[in-house]
Amino acid sequence: MNEFEPKIVTIVTELLERSDREDTTVELGATLHGDEGLGLDSLETAELSAILEDEFGTDPFGAGLLPETVADIVAFYADATAASA
Amino acid sequence: MTAPRTVIVTGGSRGLGEGIVQHFLDAGDRVATCARSETDAVRAWQADPAYAERFLFRKADMADREQCTAFFKDVVAEWTSVDVLVNNAGVARDGILALFSDEDSDTVIDLNLKATIHLTKQVVRNMFAHGGGRIVNISSITGLTGYRGLSVYGATKAALDGFTRGLAREVGSRRITVNSIASGYLRTEMSHGLDDGQLNQIIRRTPAGRLGDPEDIARAVSFLVDPANDWITGQVLVIDGGLTA
Ligand SMILES: NC(=O)c1ccc[n+]([C@@H]2O[C@H](COP(=O)([O-])OP(=O)(O)OC[C@H]3O[C@@H](n4cnc5c(N)ncnc54)[C@H](OP(=O)(O)O)[C@@H]3O)[C@@H](O)[C@H]2O)c1
Repeated sequence: MNEFEPKIVTIVTELLERSDREDTTVELGATLHGDEGLGLDSLETAELSAILEDEFGTDPFGAGLLPETVADIVAFYADATAASA
Repeated sequence: MTAPRTVIVTGGSRGLGEGIVQHFLDAGDRVATCARSETDAVRAWQADPAYAERFLFRKADMADREQCTAFFKDVVAEWTSVDVLVNNAGVARDGILALFSDEDSDTVIDLNLKATIHLTKQVVRNMFAHGGGRIVNISSITGLTGYRGLSVYGATKAALDGFTRGLAREVGSRRITVNSIASGYLRTEMSHGLDDGQLNQIIRRTPAGRLGDPEDIARAVSFLVDPANDWITGQVLVIDGGLTA
């Protein structure tokens, strides 16, 4: 587990709570979109992108990537940290 | 949104923007503004101990995306979140379209429309992360009724009203309201392009019998951004002394 994992899981969980989906458990492998996954719509995705940028200064969506899972988001930050280390 | 709120007013160095900045400072809010050049009004705010820590000015050409982004980042570095955005900076170029230069079209569209959209996008993202906010776009009655010589300017203001409506729908569920104020003719430098004959004709046709003052618009801005007014969104409020009634 890296330092980003719990932070990002918390951010996604809080985002879902605000949309009255507090009963959804956020796991690393969960896909962000679609009925099989967390089911984020386009506005929630934009919100997630904005919250991530606010927290970390950059975000994978703004960088032009299309993360599909929670793990993809974690990897984006872990890779960035590794690259700058 | 508890006081003091953080307010961005673009183009607040003179004219209408200056009046809006003063209104928010008087209300106790923190105000950030930008313009391409500093004015006596800006220097006076910077020097006034009553506004210490509550006023931020940056020289920035909003039509330049990098400068616009740098201004926004400075505001966030200082005050973290933005509660209110007033898109006021605008430019009018008067001229018959058939003789209008492409350069003038670009200047008007780049500032009134593209720069406004660019800054609003960044502010909306900040509002998403901080629980909502209020956005007011300063539009013009020339976007609602046509005025000869102002077709390009009027087009940008009509577009801004469309932006207001679309964005209001998009972000309404996130506690953000977006409204336009379609202002009539004000006694600011922008109306200096009109000669006395034109101004007198406007006054004669205005039920209220005078041109507008920045305060007339600033009071309406303050009403639209009131935290209690969360049920007014996507609207164009005309404030013109009744000229277009
Ligand atoms: N005056 C009217 O009768 C009237 C009527 C309807 C609507 N409006 C609208 O009201 C708004 C304000 O107009 P106003 O009459 O107050 O105009 P103004 O007296 O010309 O002031 C415009 C303000 O915007 C700033 N500005 C201009 N270009 C800029 C740029 N590229 N980047 C950053 N700041 C810039 C100016 O400072 P710098 O020049 O130093 O950059 C100034 O602070 C505009 O959106 C206008 O369309 C005005």
